[in-house]
Amino acid sequence: MSFDWPTLLPLIFAGLMGLAILIYVILDGFDLGIGILFAAAEDTEQDTMIAAIGPFWDANETWLVLAVGLLLVAFPLAHGTILTALYIPVFVLLVGLILRGVAFDFRAKVPAGRKHRWNRIFFLGSVIASLAQGYMLGVYVLGLDVGPGGMAFGALVALCLAAAYAAMGAAWVIYKTEGDLQKKAVLWLRMALVLTALGMVAVSLATPFASARIFDKWFVWPAMLYLSPLPILSAVLFLWLWRQTFHLPKPDDRHALLPFLTLAAIFTLGFAGLAWSFYPFVVPDRLTIWQAASAPESLAVILVGTVVVLPIIIFYSFFAYRVFGGKATDLTYD
Amino acid sequence: MDPLILSRIQFGANISFHILFPAITIALGWVLLFFKLRYNATGDSAWMRAYFTWVKVFALSFAMGVVSGVTMSFQFGTNWPGYMETVGNIAGPLLAYEILTAFFLEAAFLGIMLFGFRRVSNRVHTLATVLVAGGTTLSAFWIIALNSWMQTPAGFEIRDGVAHATDWWAVVFNPSMPYRLVHMLLASGLTVSFLIAGLSALRYLYGDRSESMWKALRTGVFAAAILIPIQIFAGDQHGLNTLEHQPQKIAAMEANWNTGPNVPLVLFALPDEAAKENRFELTIPDGASLILRHSAGGIVPGLNDYAGNHPPVFPVFWGFRIMVGTGLLMLVVSWSAAFFLKRRHSLPKPLALVMVPMALSGWLATLAGWYTTEIGRQPWLVTGVLRTADAVGPVAGSHVALSLAVYLILYVLLLIAYLGVLVHLALKAAKDGDTSPLPGVMNRPLSQPVAQPGETS
Repeated sequence: MSFDWPTLLPLIFAGLMGLAILIYVILDGFDLGIGILFAAAEDTEQDTMIAAIGPFWDANETWLVLAVGLLLVAFPLAHGTILTALYIPVFVLLVGLILRGVAFDFRAKVPAGRKHRWNRIFFLGSVIASLAQGYMLGVYVLGLDVGPGGMAFGALVALCLAAAYAAMGAAWVIYKTEGDLQKKAVLWLRMALVLTALGMVAVSLATPFASARIFDKWFVWPAMLYLSPLPILSAVLFLWLWRQTFHLPKPDDRHALLPFLTLAAIFTLGFAGLAWSFYPFVVPDRLTIWQAASAPESLAVILVGTVVVLPIIIFYSFFAYRVFGGKATDLTYD
Repeated sequence: MDPLILSRIQFGANISFHILFPAITIALGWVLLFFKLRYNATGDSAWMRAYFTWVKVFALSFAMGVVSGVTMSFQFGTNWPGYMETVGNIAGPLLAYEILTAFFLEAAFLGIMLFGFRRVSNRVHTLATVLVAGGTTLSAFWIIALNSWMQTPAGFEIRDGVAHATDWWAVVFNPSMPYRLVHMLLASGLTVSFLIAGLSALRYLYGDRSESMWKALRTGVFAAAILIPIQIFAGDQHGLNTLEHQPQKIAAMEANWNTGPNVPLVLFALPDEAAKENRFELTIPDGASLILRHSAGGIVPGLNDYAGNHPPVFPVFWGFRIMVGTGLLMLVVSWSAAFFLKRRHSLPKPLALVMVPMALSGWLATLAGWYTTEIGRQPWLVTGVLRTADAVGPVAGSHVALSLAVYLILYVLLLIAYLGVLVHLALKAAKDGDTSPLPGVMNRPLSQPVAQPGETS
């Protein structure tokens, strides 16, 4: 592999796209998770939970726009292939995201009697969007297999990803709230962790067995040795987090952010594993990132903007999180 | 069922639904900034009440715009893979810059603008409003650049069937871009002006005479009265630009079949494409030649010169007439209202009654205008480069039919809910009048309504 621009640029953009997806999954993961947990929360708790994500969700969803935008602009061929193969699940995802996104605003503005309806829609939209994302992940992992086997596996991953999001949501509630709701969230986290772990194991096992190429990338010496930290570290973090759920919340609210950070680390490890499995393909076993990439000069134009703007985005995102830092209180427009 | 026509209807429905909300947020951000700056300058809390009423409309419109926009970004791939495969090298960077420079900016500071009033200083809150308004406008800049490039492509070459940029400046500032951008920004300004004027008129009809109602009403009416003549001029310039670069679109807009001088202006007609003539025509002699060429003998292009290569005439012809008709109505209504507010310091009830439905006139004109220009680009997706029929994906018609049906139901329900909330917010504001308590800014307490004797707070 030579290190000239036509080789490097698609690689850089694959990395950026992966980063955008990972950030999206972590950030909107807790938004969607809180939506899923809505079903288990009381009326007043729901308001607090919304207050914990209200100022952020929009920016969080923008990472999905960036991810699909990068797929669209950097790998146009893959964009078409993947999205046409996943036409129905993408459509379901979009309906879920539409419902979730507008319910946020409607529930706060409609006459009091109609609020319940929008709370239900918020829950429904979050569940639909999470399931659709999990299903798409499952089908993608099996090489865009849309036969009965692929669909069954997709359904399993859908459930597990929804559980993983619920765990993220619970962890965020632990960080942003106090009192009874916080205690409740610890229980939610414990329950969701079981399904999350199951899902990660399922995807980790299915990926190599679905493709001989991926199998050979993992189970050869010495790659096995270098890669072993990924599953081992994930397992350790899982077990540690599981233990923590028996001690939270701690006096003075110590370590309230730890569950969230731990889950984010687990997501990152899982994501790194997936990235290793599929590299260099963007459409599994069909299109590599170089075959699917746009013209280098167009990528260069985008890269210049990205390098300048991305640090600024990250900076002001942190600023926004800081402004709304601390425990969530009632969210008002004034 | 034919996936091509279904995909077109689906994208058309999607983008029609989508544009309603940016049409509001682009200009409403600046109006909110105006309210905020007036408050900063005068300390009059009525400005802040107007701000809080309208910032809720902004938040809701923004959310509707975001979710429908996300849907479109996916539909490029699900329904139109040929689009990015052919012109991805051009469209990609423009979309990427929109996401990077505009979407994140809006999204991050929206939270502070909406909920941060008590958490940041007044100065930072004003700055957040500026950044959100700037973000929406920047977003309009990039997407209009891309849309205009599809209408009048420039600064590129075709290599192996794929477009490659040769001059980015020419790509962004392609021939129709400045005209379209100005036309659209003004359209947004008018949409918001009439929305504010209309909902304030509704409050007025419900007996609200509060300071915040008057301030919003006057802002809406005067902005509309100022913007509408500018828009008529800008629209005319845009039309002349179209005549130069997309004559077949002008021919369809005027329903003119034969190229030649002394072309009449068709006021009413039912264009018949099979017979290549207009039925039930009502015309003004030499009108089209005068408008387009500024002389009775001016040559106006005719559809017969573009056989098989011109857009469907009926929707383009009527879309244009609905837009212009709405614009003229806007002129009459806004100038009458401005006259009464300025000279008589009052608003006659009948006029207020007319202004309420006119709250949505901006939507009507914007949609009609977009239909004119977008259908007017057909049969091309990118003029001269890519035909719409060649970009559609291999998805089964039944799948598209299913998604289209669900989207349509969803959009209708959401639109009803949205309009319901607008009316609800207006009536609630009318009920509260000037008595709703106002919170303090972090470093600048707002004056509170004086408590009535005997009341404890």
